[in-house]
Amino acid sequence: MSENKLNLNQKIAELDKKVEWFYSEDFALENAVEKYKDAIKLAKDIEKDLKNLKNEIEVLSEDFSK
Amino acid sequence: MDEVLKLSPSEFIAVVNQTLDYAYDNVVLEGEVASFKVNQGKWVFFDVKDEVSSVSCFMSLYQLRMPLEDGMKVEVLGAPKITKWGKFSFTVRAVRPVGEGSLKKAYELLKKKLAFEGLFDNSRKREIPDKLNKIGVISSTAAAGYADFIKILNARWGGMKVEVAHTQVQGIEAPDQIIKAINYFNERSDVQVIAILRGGGSADDLSAFNDEKLVRAIAGSRIPIITGVGHEVDESLADLAADVRASTPSNAAEMLTGDRKVEMDRIESMVDKLNWALRQKVEVEEQKNLEKVERIAKGLLQKYIEPSLKANEEKMQRALQKILNDYDKMQSTLAQKIRLVEALNPEMVLSQGYAILAGKISPGSMIEITTHKQNISAEVKEIHERK
Repeated sequence: MSENKLNLNQKIAELDKKVEWFYSEDFALENAVEKYKDAIKLAKDIEKDLKNLKNEIEVLSEDFSK
Repeated sequence: MDEVLKLSPSEFIAVVNQTLDYAYDNVVLEGEVASFKVNQGKWVFFDVKDEVSSVSCFMSLYQLRMPLEDGMKVEVLGAPKITKWGKFSFTVRAVRPVGEGSLKKAYELLKKKLAFEGLFDNSRKREIPDKLNKIGVISSTAAAGYADFIKILNARWGGMKVEVAHTQVQGIEAPDQIIKAINYFNERSDVQVIAILRGGGSADDLSAFNDEKLVRAIAGSRIPIITGVGHEVDESLADLAADVRASTPSNAAEMLTGDRKVEMDRIESMVDKLNWALRQKVEVEEQKNLEKVERIAKGLLQKYIEPSLKANEEKMQRALQKILNDYDKMQSTLAQKIRLVEALNPEMVLSQGYAILAGKISPGSMIEITTHKQNISAEVKEIHERK
């Protein structure tokens, strides 16, 4: 799934994973710069979401009195 | 004379019931319970009375949502009816206790019963998922508690979908509406949690949340339920059956969401962690490269330089040995020569007993004889040839 289509929580989870990679045995210096750039971009995206995202509130049309 | 209505008993009862239905379809009686009894485990009979009158009530046990006892004050919703035996009865659709004493009594009785069944056991409680994307809310959208919940929710977090089921949250109709909403979410929605909310109120206002069927519906919900009903001090049976109890609707919003500010700080610290990790990894790689270079250098040394040095060393040693050998040889030759020279030394010859003779060798001439220790002058007398 593209990162743009992820919701806020999914983006945060994705960032967690990206940071974890740097501490894992999978770390490879050749890929580090690219991964670093991705993570920083995602972090900025999350910060933007945290500042601006609103909840979508829908009152159901269902009549529960019947 | 006016026309007289002539009816059979059945017709009469039907007409009266029709009239009663028309006139008193929905009546709420308030009074004290007397002569409460359950027949055949199915039918409930009791009277609702005041100081003067008493009304016989009838209902199915299934409709009884709170335990009743004689002496409890109740509110009874139903309609009057004449039975086929001609007896007046009030057919009850719903009954609930009213007044502090009765509410407390009903609460305690039901709590004991449901606790015995294990409905409030901690082992039944489920955790609310950590990261919520979609939540269901059951509340009255006109209630202050609902407004508080939405306000706190929006202040703390964003990007969630919130489905709101608008129901009554007090009164005799409230429990059934809330149950329908719970069923709706369980059957037709993919919300991750259901929040049942109502702001503060009197014990009577909050008594809907002590309804037996509602408590069972909460305990039986497939989706975890959080309740935020009343204030901290108000503990309903719905709270006890819920997976999580929040003290108020605002508290429920806090429990369901992270805090934007805290999360912003966390994201910042993650970026710091990332920078640190990258720096550290680069340093480690540098160190690794250094060690690699050292290893290569050591390998080269062992492979090429050391054998060459060793070869040179052997060569040197051989040369030195040759020099030493030559030196020994020279020394030995020199000693021989020294010994030869020494053998030719006149003094050496004299010391061996020989003498040196100098002068003309002819009879009558004087000669000089030198021995090891003496110089002698002598005259030559005769000369004889050696044979």
